[in-house]
Amino acid sequence: MKQSSDTPNPLDPFGTMRAMRDSTLEAWSKMMIDMVNSDMYAQATAKWLDSYLTASQPFQQLMETTTTRVLTEFNMPTRADVISLAERMTNIEMRLDDIDVRFDEIMSVLQKLAKADPREEER
Amino acid sequence: MVQQPMPANPMMLMEEMQKIEQNMRTLTRVTTTKAVVGQTPKQQIWALNKARLYRYIPVVPPEKRHKVPLLLIFALMNKPYILDLRRGHSFIEYMVKQGYDVYLLDWGVPGPEDKDLKFDDYVLDYLPRVIRKVKATSGSNEFTLLGWCIGAILTTIYAALRPDDGIKNLLLLTAPLDFTDKKAGGFVRWVSDQGFDPDKIVSAFGNIPGEMIDYGAKALKPVENYIGSFLTLWDNLDNPRIVESWHAMNTWVTDLLPMAGATYSQLINEMYKENRLMTGKLVIRGEHVDVSRIRANLLDVIALADHISPPCQSESIMERVSSKDKFLLRNKGGHIGMMAGSGAAKHTWPAINEWLGPRSE
Repeated sequence: MKQSSDTPNPLDPFGTMRAMRDSTLEAWSKMMIDMVNSDMYAQATAKWLDSYLTASQPFQQLMETTTTRVLTEFNMPTRADVISLAERMTNIEMRLDDIDVRFDEIMSVLQKLAKADPREEER
Repeated sequence: MVQQPMPANPMMLMEEMQKIEQNMRTLTRVTTTKAVVGQTPKQQIWALNKARLYRYIPVVPPEKRHKVPLLLIFALMNKPYILDLRRGHSFIEYMVKQGYDVYLLDWGVPGPEDKDLKFDDYVLDYLPRVIRKVKATSGSNEFTLLGWCIGAILTTIYAALRPDDGIKNLLLLTAPLDFTDKKAGGFVRWVSDQGFDPDKIVSAFGNIPGEMIDYGAKALKPVENYIGSFLTLWDNLDNPRIVESWHAMNTWVTDLLPMAGATYSQLINEMYKENRLMTGKLVIRGEHVDVSRIRANLLDVIALADHISPPCQSESIMERVSSKDKFLLRNKGGHIGMMAGSGAAKHTWPAINEWLGPRSE
């Protein structure tokens, strides 16, 4: 823990309290770091996460199915439709990026040719 | 905020009350507002999907500039403005002043439609296009790639797959590359547990929520991150330098990004669990990634107190690459503090500049 003063003044009750606080936190911090770096913590976290995901999955699926059904009933685009559209736009963007580069390359070649052609200078 | 013994007279009491009121205002401001960040002048020169490429406006005359442009690739799960945190304390501002032509790739915020993006896509669809743009803009066929954290994984894979693409210098900052030691650090220990199934998380969330990644990073040092950081602020509320630095860092730390689900799955399964990159088993879109094909000049920067990517995960790359010019720079500090902490401007940045300068001509 970072201390704002180097040595606490014994006549300053807050300074003494702060020193106590810092040393307590220091010890607590070391203990917590050891704990989170243990195999037991890793196993417990994995187990807790697995239970949470298993328990929440049916609700999530139900929600997704219901939402999709409602949106379809109302002739509205579903999440999957929007995602598919966004993916297609990214593909178009990639094509445009490639075309842009080709266009730059063609322009660069044309400029070089124009420089090499003496008639261009006369114009 | 250093508490003083109780004031003896009413005037002193009044002053003390005013000071407390001012400190409370400061505390409210820095904990409820966002700091102004990323202020070095820049221009967007390219965009694809959510990714944006910026070129920083040079401040050094052309004849004094380094010829080889510098492209910065940050991690996928945090915003890249940590490299340009605040005026007077920005790595990018520093490098621009040293005469580098600096480019920054911002990966942007992945949406649900990006959940299938993998390392393959970032390395073979995005990076080649970005590099093509950097070359076209700078007029140089050679370039320097700097990757930080997951960005260093991406740049390492790219340098191994495309060693002849003009990559002159490769800078890796706190790079998590070698996961041989399954007990080195909390992350590798947690995800190596047999019960930890990244695919189940991906199937539940699509993209991995920023809050989840943030929890993982903070839980490695829970007391420091959840309590210590706020106590540091409390103890220094009357010190504007520390307060503004804390405000900017807190803005960055709380600015969370989700991570594309497929990338997360690949990171945990193929890197952390199976260590494919260092064992030569990583395949990116049908191409084997062989790090011994890396020939670029290599600067590998590690943080000695890094609890996210412990030094052992970054050091072994030095023996695997074919680069003749390579250097391992050991720095004090942690994963982020090494580049953005108060000592970065005195130690890490000048060391990077000293190494890179002569190799950028």
